Amino acid sequence: MTTTFDLGALFRRFGLLIAIAVLVFGLALLSPQFLAVQNVLNLLLQATVNAIIAAGMTLVILTAGIDLSVGSVLALTAVITADVLQAGVPVVLAVVIGLGAGAVTGLVNGLLITLGRIPPFIATLGMMTLARGLALSYAQGRPITGLPDRFLLVGTSSMLGIPTPIWITAVVYGAGMFVLRRTVLGRYIYAIGNSSRAARFTGIPVRSATVAVYVISGALAALAGMILTARLNSAQPIMGLQYELNAIAAVVVGGAALSGGEGGLGGTFLGALLMAIIANAINILNISPFVAQVLQGSVILAALLLHGLSRRNQ
Amino acid sequence: MIPTVRRIVVRYSTFLILAALMLLFSLVSSRFLQVNNLLNIVDQSALLAIVAIGVTYTIISGGIDLSVGSVVALVGAVSAGLIVRAGLPVPVGILLGLVFGALLGLVNGLFVVYGRLQPFVATLAMMAIARGLTLLYTQGRPISGMGEAYTFFGSRLGPIPVSILVLLVVVLVSGTVLRRTPFGAYVYAVGGNEETTRLAGVAVSRVKLGAYAFSGLMAAVGGIILTARLWSAQPQAATGLELQAIAATVLGGASLMGGAGTILGTVAGALIMGVLANGLNLAGVSSYLQQVITGGIFILAVLLDMWTKRQKV
Repeated sequence: MTTTFDLGALFRRFGLLIAIAVLVFGLALLSPQFLAVQNVLNLLLQATVNAIIAAGMTLVILTAGIDLSVGSVLALTAVITADVLQAGVPVVLAVVIGLGAGAVTGLVNGLLITLGRIPPFIATLGMMTLARGLALSYAQGRPITGLPDRFLLVGTSSMLGIPTPIWITAVVYGAGMFVLRRTVLGRYIYAIGNSSRAARFTGIPVRSATVAVYVISGALAALAGMILTARLNSAQPIMGLQYELNAIAAVVVGGAALSGGEGGLGGTFLGALLMAIIANAINILNISPFVAQVLQGSVILAALLLHGLSRRNQ
Repeated sequence: MIPTVRRIVVRYSTFLILAALMLLFSLVSSRFLQVNNLLNIVDQSALLAIVAIGVTYTIISGGIDLSVGSVVALVGAVSAGLIVRAGLPVPVGILLGLVFGALLGLVNGLFVVYGRLQPFVATLAMMAIARGLTLLYTQGRPISGMGEAYTFFGSRLGPIPVSILVLLVVVLVSGTVLRRTPFGAYVYAVGGNEETTRLAGVAVSRVKLGAYAFSGLMAAVGGIILTARLWSAQPQAATGLELQAIAATVLGGASLMGGAGTILGTVAGALIMGVLANGLNLAGVSSYLQQVITGGIFILAVLLDMWTKRQKV
């Protein structure tokens, strides 16, 4: 049960690293432009939205929960943020409002799960429909375009030659790892995922910790939505369709178990990276986009079967 | 002792919600209870109900099937393609489509049983792969021109939509299998307690394979009906249908933990969603607001269900 040296987890994480390394090596041979700085930055930039959503999803899945609402919440908060920006609200305040809206949807999810005792899958499935409907109603089905330049900087500016979204993702993962490893909440999250009942008996505030996790997931979905909106200079109520599935895929490819208590943000980041590399490769190598989903699905399967094998060989 | 009324409410909450919604909409619009409109609702819900019945099998067995939406599209495309492109007779194309759907489900089962993958992720991967295969096979364009023997399944026999007749057959067969055969009993047992069932000597692997293959078969039936109704196989057809099917199953009283659920409950769950869509349309509610209301009612219904079930203990 020690979290400091878990050989199985180490092996699994290592396996994914090796898979990525082999893939990168192969792609570099196939296409010289793959490892060009511009392409690598581009690839990381493409990974940011999914990586940020997947970070929140990791915390949720660690508690043995799931959050199917993130794609819809992303769209809802994006149209809200864009709308208040157009109404002339200062950028910082608009960002806070957007993040707050995401947190509120997460709060509702968390309360339905803890107080309403609805299974997470079902509660967030309901929120998924609800938030999508709210986004469509709010924006009347139309995209909101023409946002202030200062907001667009969130997605388009660079610091030290590295695009801002990559910095934001780094901060999210840094903060997330700190929470998981160094704070009480992090320990609660793993404990709840291992056994919610045992956690309650040891006096862990299971309800508030669970609610906190869904609030974080909602806020991170909102953050990802802002990056997407800033890059597209447009907030669309149909944004983020099926993003929840991409995020879940990144988390499980990263070695987390849907049964909770097992996994971490490092693995999730690699999972999101792997998916971005595949998407990038399809682009560079001029593979038909129709193959993309088949490839991604197959890679998810392969990664999971490998996890299973390494787990059994322990 | 539980008072009888309460027991009935707990047991038939799905049907009560359905009845309440129908009562509500009949007050809102006089057109709602007209025979033709009611037939329309069942016709519109039949696809969801059939697919959800397959999903119900996997959920009762303690699993889940997220791939059904993609399998609907893939089977629709392949059966249409076999008829239009390869020139096979319509019955052969449909039959091969059904077999193909069952095989896709079987593959899900193999990954769950022998690959020891969690059903959620195994079928999630299949969802991506089957959708990708659909796009590849159709090259992103619809396939049409299957002929009337095929589109018959999307038409009406006299006043009765053929989809309703198919649904009736599916309900009868799947209900009988679940209630009256050892296999059906094993599906419940595996979902209730897999280890105990294994120790009792049941071939758990085969039961699970059967449940996933059946789910694939039902998605295939749905794929034929949808393709027939649209007169063409659309590569993006039935996107998101898996979540609706799971929602219908849950509304129907199934537990995602496995071991509980009924075919009639699932059909009622699908009808609730059909009644909602139809009634809100008649009431002139915008399609955007409909989603908000559907999501809200779904959550309320589950909350109510949880609450009534808790009253038992």
